[in-house]
Amino acid sequence: MEAFRLMKELKTNFDQEIKYLPKEAGLALIESTQENGRGISAKCRNAKAEDLWSLTSFFGYSTQTFVLAVNLLDRFLAIMRVQPKHLACISIGCLHIAAKVVEQECNISSTHELIRISQSKFTVSDLSRMEKIISEKLNFQFKAITALTFLHLYHAITLSHTSDRKEVLNQDKLEAQLKACLCRIVFSKAKPSVLALSLLTLEIEALQSVDMLEIAQRIQRHLKISESELQHWRGLVAQCISEYSSPECSKPDHKKLVWIVSRRTAQNLHSSYYSVPELPTIPEGGWDESESEDWYEDVSSGEESLSSSLGSDAEGPYFPMHYRCQSRKTPTF
Amino acid sequence: MSAITASEKVDGFTRKSMRKAQKQKKSQGSSQFRTQSACLELSTLPQLKDAPSTEQQELFAQKLQQCCVLFDFMDSVTDLKSKEIKRATLTELVDYVSTNRGVLTEQSYPDITHMICTNIFRTLPPSDNPDFDPEEDEPTLEASWPHIQLVYEFMLRFLENPDFQPTIAKRYIDQKFVLQLLELFDSEDPRERDFLKTVLHRIYGKFLGLRAFIRKQINNIFLRFIYETEHFNGVAELLEILGSIINGFALPLKAEHKQFLMKVLIPLHTAKALALFHAQLAYCVVQFLEKDPTLTEPVIRGLLKFWPKTCSQKEVMYLGEIEEILDVIEPTQFKKVQEPLFKQISRCVANPHFQVAERALYFWNNEYILSLIEENIGTVLPIMFGSLYRISKEHWNPTIVALVYNVLKTLMEMNNTLFDELTASYKADRQREKKKEQEREELWKKLDELRLRDTQNNSHGVSNALNNSSNNNNNNNNADSNHHDKNADSDSAADTTKDGVTTEQGATMETK
Repeated sequence: MEAFRLMKELKTNFDQEIKYLPKEAGLALIESTQENGRGISAKCRNAKAEDLWSLTSFFGYSTQTFVLAVNLLDRFLAIMRVQPKHLACISIGCLHIAAKVVEQECNISSTHELIRISQSKFTVSDLSRMEKIISEKLNFQFKAITALTFLHLYHAITLSHTSDRKEVLNQDKLEAQLKACLCRIVFSKAKPSVLALSLLTLEIEALQSVDMLEIAQRIQRHLKISESELQHWRGLVAQCISEYSSPECSKPDHKKLVWIVSRRTAQNLHSSYYSVPELPTIPEGGWDESESEDWYEDVSSGEESLSSSLGSDAEGPYFPMHYRCQSRKTPTF
Repeated sequence: MSAITASEKVDGFTRKSMRKAQKQKKSQGSSQFRTQSACLELSTLPQLKDAPSTEQQELFAQKLQQCCVLFDFMDSVTDLKSKEIKRATLTELVDYVSTNRGVLTEQSYPDITHMICTNIFRTLPPSDNPDFDPEEDEPTLEASWPHIQLVYEFMLRFLENPDFQPTIAKRYIDQKFVLQLLELFDSEDPRERDFLKTVLHRIYGKFLGLRAFIRKQINNIFLRFIYETEHFNGVAELLEILGSIINGFALPLKAEHKQFLMKVLIPLHTAKALALFHAQLAYCVVQFLEKDPTLTEPVIRGLLKFWPKTCSQKEVMYLGEIEEILDVIEPTQFKKVQEPLFKQISRCVANPHFQVAERALYFWNNEYILSLIEENIGTVLPIMFGSLYRISKEHWNPTIVALVYNVLKTLMEMNNTLFDELTASYKADRQREKKKEQEREELWKKLDELRLRDTQNNSHGVSNALNNSSNNNNNNNNADSNHHDKNADSDSAADTTKDGVTTEQGATMETK
C-alpha cells in the first residue's frame, strides 16, 4: 500500500512540476549573455548560486532551503531583466524567503546577520523591498516542487521495495550532488523529475544494484519519461558530478572576500621578518689574511669557547703553516 | 617610601603614580658618582685643529687623559665649568677621530681604550623601582649621559676608523673588555643599549678571535635570564646582533648553532617579558629556518610545547611567529608538522579571547598558507572543521563569526566533497548528542515525577517504573535503579511510619 501511495504522490507531483519551472526563454537569455554585459550572465548566476550554498551551509539551513532558494532565483531571473548590481540583493532575498518557508522560525537568522555575513552592501530595508518584489512577481508560489522533492520520493519508493538490501542509497550524497548541479544554470532547464532520476540512476549504477535499477526503470515508465531525455540529462549530470568529486582542488578566489579584523590585531600584523634590520650581516668564517695571527693564538691559547666539544668555532680546518713560522707575537691572553 | 597618608592606606588602591612621586630620589642613583681624591678642575687645552701636526699626538693623549676624570651628575650645580670642558673635549675628540687619517698610532690605542673603560665600565646601580615593568614604566635614564653618550660616539668612530687595526687593538679589547661590555647591556637606559648594540656588532665583526667567546657569553646571559633571574634589559639588543650573525652563518650549519637555536632561542619564548623582544626573536628563528629548513620540525614542535596556556597576549605573538615561519616553510617540511600544528590552530580559532581567534583565522588570508592547506586539504580540513563549525554558531564576537564564514567558504571551495562529508558527519554527531541530551532530560523528568508520586502515594510502584525506564538508558542510570531497588527492599521491610520512610527515600533521591 505504501508503494502504491508513493507512486500516486509521484504522479501528482510530476503533473504539477511544470508550474515551477523557470521560463525557458529567460534562462536561454541568461546563458547567452556576455560577461560584463548589461544583463546577468551564466557565470554570474552560477557564482551567486555557490554563494547561496556557502551561506546555507554556514547558517545550518537544510538542503531544501537551498534548492528552493535557487528555484526562486531562477524563476525570477527568467522573467525579469535585472542589472548585475542587484543580483546579490535578489539572491539573498530568495534565500531569506526560502528559509522562512522551510525552516523553523527559531532557526532563521536575522536579515541583519545575513547581510553582514554575506558581506553585502545593501541595507535591511533594501532587502525587504526586494523580497516583496520577488514575492509578487512569483505570485507567492513558494512551495515549489523541486528535484529534491523527487529525490525524496524516489528514495522512499526504493526503501519501500527493499527487504534487506546490502546497498543502501546514500541520501546525503545525492543531495550534495544535486546541490552541485544546481550551481550550474544548465540544470535549471531540466525537469526536476528527470534531473532527480538522472542522479538516482547514476548512483544506482555506481552501486551496481540490479534490483534498484529495476525500481528506477519502473519509476521511469510510470512517469513516462523518454529514454532520450533521460540519457541527455544523465550525460550532463555525470560530467558535473565527476568535476565536483574530483580530488583536485580548485584554488578559491578569495580576493572576493573581505577580511575585517579589529584595529588591535591589524596593528600587530606587521611582520618582524619584513622589517629591515639595521645591523648589516656579519658573514661567518670570514677568514681574513691580516687576522692570521689571531688564528695562531686562538688555536694555541687553549680554546675557551664552548664550541670545543660541539664543533670548533675555528673558521676553517687549518691555519697556514707559513704564518705559524712567521709569528712574531706571543699570545697575550 | 611612606609618604602615603592613612586614608590612602585604608583605600588600599594607592595610585602607583602617586607613590612614585612621593618617593624620594636616592642619592646613589648615578653610578658615575665616585669620590675623587682630589676634585680636579679641568684646564682648557688648545684645540687640536689649531695645533701643529708634530704636537697633535701629544695633545691628543693629554685630552684623552683629561677625559678620564669623572664627574657627578646627580649634583647639578658642582663642577659645571669642568663638565663643560670635558664635554667640549669629547666632542672635539669624536670629530678628530672621524675626520682625520693617521690619528690612530700604535701608542694611542692604550690611551683610547683606557679612556673608554674609565668612563663607561661601571657597576650599574640597582633599579630605582624594584617593580620596574619595562612595558609600562619610564626607564631610569643614565644621569651622566651628556658625557657617556659622547664616549660611546667616540668608541664607534674609533672602531670604524679606516686605520683601525684589530691586531693592535686586540691587546686591549680582549675578553675582559667584552665581558664588561656585555654587563652594560643590562642598563635601563635604552639609548645606552642602542650604542652598545652597535659597538658589540662592530667588535664581533672585526675581532674574529673574540667571536666564540662573545657567543658563549651571550648564551650564558640568555640562559641565566630564562632559568634564573628573568631579568635582563638588553635581550632585544643582543638578539638584534644575533640576527645579523645568524644571517651570515655558513652552510652547513654547525652543530653549535643548532644547539643554540633549540636550547636557548626556543626556551627564550617562555619568558614573561616576551613582548619586549619578540620581533627580534622571531627574526632570528626565521633566519635559522631559511638557512636550514630541516630545523623546521623541531622548531615548530618546540613552540607547540611551550604554547601559552593562560596568556592571550603571548598567544597572539606565537601565532604571528607561526605565520612568519609558514611564510618560508618548504612543502615537505609542512607535511611533517601539519597535524600537531593545525590541532593547535583549531584550538586557537575557538578561543574565547577574540584577538587570539582573529589572529588564527587571519591565516586564511595568506596566499601561501592557503596553497599549503590546499595541497594537504585531506589532513587539514578534518582537523579544523569541528572548531570552525562550532564557533560559527557559538562565538560571542560578530567579527569572528564573519571571519569564520570566510574561512569556511574558502575551505568549501577548495574541496566540496570532503567538506560535504565532514558537514554530514558533524551533523550526525550533533544529532546523536542531542538525542542523548533529550533522553537524559526525559529520565530526570521521569524521576522527578516519580518522586512526586511517591511522596503522595508511597507506593511500591517506584521500583517497577524505574526498572522499566532503566532498561533503555545508559550505565549511569544503573546506579539509580540499584539504589532504588535497595530502597524498595528496605521499604517493604520497613515498619517505620509513612513519613519516616518517605523522607528517607526522598532524602536519598535528592542526594543522588
